[in-house]
Amino acid sequence: MNSGNTDKVTELTSTDTNGAKPNTDSLEVATKTLKELNDIVKQQVLGRDDVIELAIIALIADGHILLEDFPGSGKTTLAKAMGEAIETRQSTDEPIVPFRRIQFTPDLLPSDITGVPVFDSNSNAVHFHHGPLFAHVVLADEINRTSPKVQSAMLEAMGEKQVTVDNTTYLLDDLFFVIATQNPLDLIGTYPLPTPQLDRFLFKITMDHIDRASELEVLDSYKERRQLTNQHKTVTRSDVLMARSIIDKNVEISAQIKATLVDISRNLRKDDRVLQGNSTRSMVLLLPALQVSAALRQREYVSTEDIELLIPHVLNHRIELAPGVSDIKKILQENMQEPIEKLAKSTLK
Amino acid sequence: MISRNEVSISKLLPTSLRAAIIACSFWVLSLPMTVVSGSVAAFCGSLLICYTIDLRLDREFFSKLRTLSIIGLSICLWATGLLLSNFFVNTEIISFSASPLIAFNLSEAIKWLALSSSLTLILRTLAQRTSYGATIEIIFVAAAFVITLAAHRNGMIHRPFLIGDFAIIRGIDPSSILMVLGCAAVISLSALLMVEKNHKRLPYHFSILGILCLSLFVYVNFFGIPTPQSTDTMGLTGEASDNTNSQRDNPFRDGENENSDREAPVAVVVFRDDYEPINGSYYFRESAYSQFNGTMLDYSNIDGMDADLIKKFTIDRTEAEQNPLAEDQHKAIKTTVGMLVPHRNPFGLESPIAYENIANPNNVRFKRTYDAYSLAPQYSFEYLLEREVGNEEWSEEILTEYLRLPDDDRYRSLADELIGNLKPEFTNDPFAKTWAIKAYLDENGIYSLKNEHAYESDPAASFLFGDLTGYCMHFSFAATYLFRSLGIPSRVGIGYSVPAANRAGGSALLVQAIHGHAWPEVYFKDIGWVIIDPAPQQTLVDMTTDPQDSLQQLLGDMLRNDSSFQDFLESQRTSFIQFGTILNIIYALVITLILIGYVVKTYRLLIPNFSLANERYRVSYRAILDRLACIGIRRRFGESREKFASRASKTVPSIIELTDSHLSCALGNISKWKNYETNWQEFERRIQQEITSNTNIWHRVVGLINPFSWLLTK
Repeated sequence: MNSGNTDKVTELTSTDTNGAKPNTDSLEVATKTLKELNDIVKQQVLGRDDVIELAIIALIADGHILLEDFPGSGKTTLAKAMGEAIETRQSTDEPIVPFRRIQFTPDLLPSDITGVPVFDSNSNAVHFHHGPLFAHVVLADEINRTSPKVQSAMLEAMGEKQVTVDNTTYLLDDLFFVIATQNPLDLIGTYPLPTPQLDRFLFKITMDHIDRASELEVLDSYKERRQLTNQHKTVTRSDVLMARSIIDKNVEISAQIKATLVDISRNLRKDDRVLQGNSTRSMVLLLPALQVSAALRQREYVSTEDIELLIPHVLNHRIELAPGVSDIKKILQENMQEPIEKLAKSTLK
Repeated sequence: MISRNEVSISKLLPTSLRAAIIACSFWVLSLPMTVVSGSVAAFCGSLLICYTIDLRLDREFFSKLRTLSIIGLSICLWATGLLLSNFFVNTEIISFSASPLIAFNLSEAIKWLALSSSLTLILRTLAQRTSYGATIEIIFVAAAFVITLAAHRNGMIHRPFLIGDFAIIRGIDPSSILMVLGCAAVISLSALLMVEKNHKRLPYHFSILGILCLSLFVYVNFFGIPTPQSTDTMGLTGEASDNTNSQRDNPFRDGENENSDREAPVAVVVFRDDYEPINGSYYFRESAYSQFNGTMLDYSNIDGMDADLIKKFTIDRTEAEQNPLAEDQHKAIKTTVGMLVPHRNPFGLESPIAYENIANPNNVRFKRTYDAYSLAPQYSFEYLLEREVGNEEWSEEILTEYLRLPDDDRYRSLADELIGNLKPEFTNDPFAKTWAIKAYLDENGIYSLKNEHAYESDPAASFLFGDLTGYCMHFSFAATYLFRSLGIPSRVGIGYSVPAANRAGGSALLVQAIHGHAWPEVYFKDIGWVIIDPAPQQTLVDMTTDPQDSLQQLLGDMLRNDSSFQDFLESQRTSFIQFGTILNIIYALVITLILIGYVVKTYRLLIPNFSLANERYRVSYRAILDRLACIGIRRRFGESREKFASRASKTVPSIIELTDSHLSCALGNISKWKNYETNWQEFERRIQQEITSNTNIWHRVVGLINPFSWLLTK
C-alpha cells in the first residue's frame, strides 16, 4: 500500500496517504495534481489566473480564503469550479459532497449550516441531518451579512474542522475548504468580521474587474463552459490530500527564508504606521502556503518569489493600520525590502 | 513596481550633485562682484531652483508651461529683482529705519537671488527639454571656473588673491593649487556629465572632455605655459635680435596697441646691494635712440657711438666698452634680473656696466636670468651745475651725430626762448639749460596715452608745437631735440622706470609692462650719460598700479633661490603637513587600491575552479554575477534574485536557469548541487557567449578595465 505507485494513488484512503513514502518522483506527482486542478478551474473561470492560483495554494495548504469583490464577478463560479474539480467516491452513506453554497442572511441560524438531529419515526431513532458545511468546498457568500452567532459557528468549523451539535461532535472532511466572500462597499446592515475572526482566513483576496479580452471571452463562451461542468473530473480527493502531504515533506524551507519572514513581521510591528502587527500564527500558517507556491513553480525550495507573492495576501487583513494611514501595499512593500535584500545577499555567503 | 517616493530618492543624489555644482559656480562668479550676502543669495537661489525643477514640479505645473514662457518668466523675475533691489537702495525707508548697510546688503541679496534663480531656471529648463541645453549648462560651469581663474593670466601667478595668498603663506607655488583647481573643474564637469539623463551621449561627451584635457596637457608639456608676448608699448620685449641696428618699426606707433594687460609682470630684479635712487625712480636702461636717420632718432650703427650700451645677451660675461666716469659719484650695485618675458636686449639698473649669465632657477617661469653690475648715480643735480657736456674721446662724427636734429628752426627758437629766462649766472650753464627745458615740459606738457601725432612726419614737432599732449616717447624726443638744438649732446634712453615706492622695503622689484619708459639723456663731461626726465604735471591717464607686493616677493624668492628661502619654506612646511608627501601618499593609496581591486576581481573570477564542492554553487554564481556587473547589469536594492534574473535575461537568457540552480542550493538542499556541478562549465561558457553577442565591445572593455566592478555584485 505504501509503494508510492502513482497509478494506485486514487485508491488510497486519506489515512493511508499520509503514510505514503515520498520518492524522488513524488513532488512531480504533487505538481501534476496542482496543474490539473489549475487547468480544470481555469476552463471555468476566465481572466482570474492569479486568484485561481491563490485559491489552489490555500486549498492545498489547508487554509481558507476570503474574497472581497462585487456581485457577479465570478466568485461563485470559482468556488463551484473548485468544488467540482474534486471527485469523490459517491457512496450512499457518504454525507460529504463536493460543493455547497451558503447564502448568509441576518436570519440564518447556526443549525442551518451545521445540520440538526432529526427524529426518524420509522427507525425510532435520532439521525443527524448534515448541514451544508459537510462538503469539500463551501462557498460562504456574503459572510458579513449574517449574525455573529452564525459567523462564530462558521469560524469554529473552519478552525477546528468539526461541528458540535447537542454535545455531539461531527468531524468535517480533511479537505474542508471555505471560500467566503464579502462586498467591500455595500456595508449597510452587515456585521463586519473583527480582526481575530479574519485571522482564520489564510488569504484575503481583493479582486478587481477582469480585463477586456477576458470579459469578452466570458460572454462568448459561457454556454460551452456550462456544458463542460460535468466533464474532466480528473482530480480526486485523495490526490489533493496526497499532494498536501508530499509537498509538506519535500519542499524545503531554509533557515534564511524563516528568518526573512520573522524580519518582515518585526519590521511591520516596529513601523509607526502600523497599529498592530501580524501574529506569529500568521507566519506559521504561511509556511505551508509558501511550500505549495514553490511546488506550483516546480521548485523543491521556497524562494523569495513565493514570499513576495503571498505576503500581501496573508497580511493585508491581519495588520491594523494607524488612523489616517491607508496604503497597506506600500507599507508592506517598504518593510519587505530590507529583509529580502538580506535574503538575497545571504545566498552568496 | 517602484513607488514614486523611491524614484525621488534615487533622483536625490544626482540632483543634489548637479545643484551643488551649479550653485557653487554662481557663488564663485558672484564673489568678485558683490558682498557676502549677495554671494549667499546667489548660491541659495540657484540651489532652490535646481531642487524645485528636478524634484517637485517635474510633472504637474511645470510641464504645462512652454519653454519660451519659462524663459520669459525668468527674465521677468530678474527684472523684478533688479527693480526691487534698486528700490531698497534709492529710497530711504530701510536705510533710515534700519541702517544703510542693511539696505545695501538686502538689495545685493535680492539682486543676486533674482539673477541666479532666473538664470538657473533657464539653464535647467533648457537642459531638461532640449538636446543642446546640457551643453549650455556645462559651458556655464566651465566659464565660472575660467572667469574666476582669469586673474591668473598674463603671468600674475599670485592671483586670484584668495588662492595666491593661501599658497604663498604656505610656501607652495600657487600654480600647483591652480592645477588642483583645474582638476576640480574637470571633475565637476565630469560629474555634471554623469548625472545627465541621456546615457548614450555620455561616451561622446567624455571623449571630448578627455581630448580637451589631453591636448592642454600635451601643449603645456611641449610649449610650456603660455606667456604674454606683446606686453609693453615701447618695443622692449620680443625675441632677442643679433642685429640690433636693423631698422625697426616707428616707436611712436607702438603706442597704438590696445593694451589691456599693462600690469603684466615682465621681469623681476633682485638687489644684491643696498641702493635708493635719488630721484624717486629706478631706471633700467635697455637701449637708446641716438642717431638721427633723417626722420627721427634710431639705434646707432656707428662704431664708438653709444659705447656704454650692451646690445646682446651673453653666454658668460659681457662688459660695456665705456663706463661712467667720476666713480666717487657712483655706487657699484649688483642686481639679479629674471626676465619673465623674452626681451630684445638685456637691461640693467642705470648705468649697467656688465652682465653675467647665471643658472636659471626656474625654467618654466624665467626666460633669462643674469646678474647685472651697475654704477648707479649718487650725485644730486647741484653737482651737475657748471659742468661741461660732451666727451673729448668722441670723434667729430660721433659728436655731430649726438647733435643732429630735424631741420626745423622752431626747436632752436623755442629753446632760446626757454633759456632766455635763466638768471644771468646760469645762461651758459648746460645743466641749467636742460633744466629750463625740462621745467617747461613739466609745466605745460599733458601726459596722455592717446597718440594723435603718430602719422606726422615729425611726431615730436607735432607734439611740441601743438597740443603738448603725448606720452614719454613724445616728451623724450622733444626734449632731446631741444637739447641738441642748443648744442648739448643727448639721446633718448629706453628701458623701464619703476617708482621707488614699489620696492616696498624688500630687496625684490617687480617690473611690469606699464613701467616701459623712454627718457632724454645728456652726456656730461667726466660723468657720463645723465637722465633728465621730464615729468608732466598734468596727466589724462592714471598710470598708477596696484602694488603687487606678494607677487614681487614670490618671484624675487624664486629668482634668489637662496638656501635661506629654502629653509624658510622648510620651516613653513614642517609646521604644516607636507603638501608633496600628502600627494604622494594619495597617489600610492590610489594605486594600491586599484591593484587590490584587480586582485580581488581576478580572484573572484578564478576561484570557482579551485573551490570545494559544497562552496562551488556560491562562488560560481558570484563569478557570473561579477561578469554581469562588469557590463552594468546588477541587482537593485531589495530586488529578489528571481526578479533580477528575469530583468537580466534580456541580455543573458541563461541567467534564469542559473539563478534557479543557485537558489535551489542556497535555499534548498545543498546535496542537490551535485546535479548541477557538471553543468557549471557549460553555464559559464553560455553566459560568456551571450554577453559577447548581446553587448557592444566598448561596454565590455570598460567593464574589463574597471577594477571595482565586483563591488557592484550584491
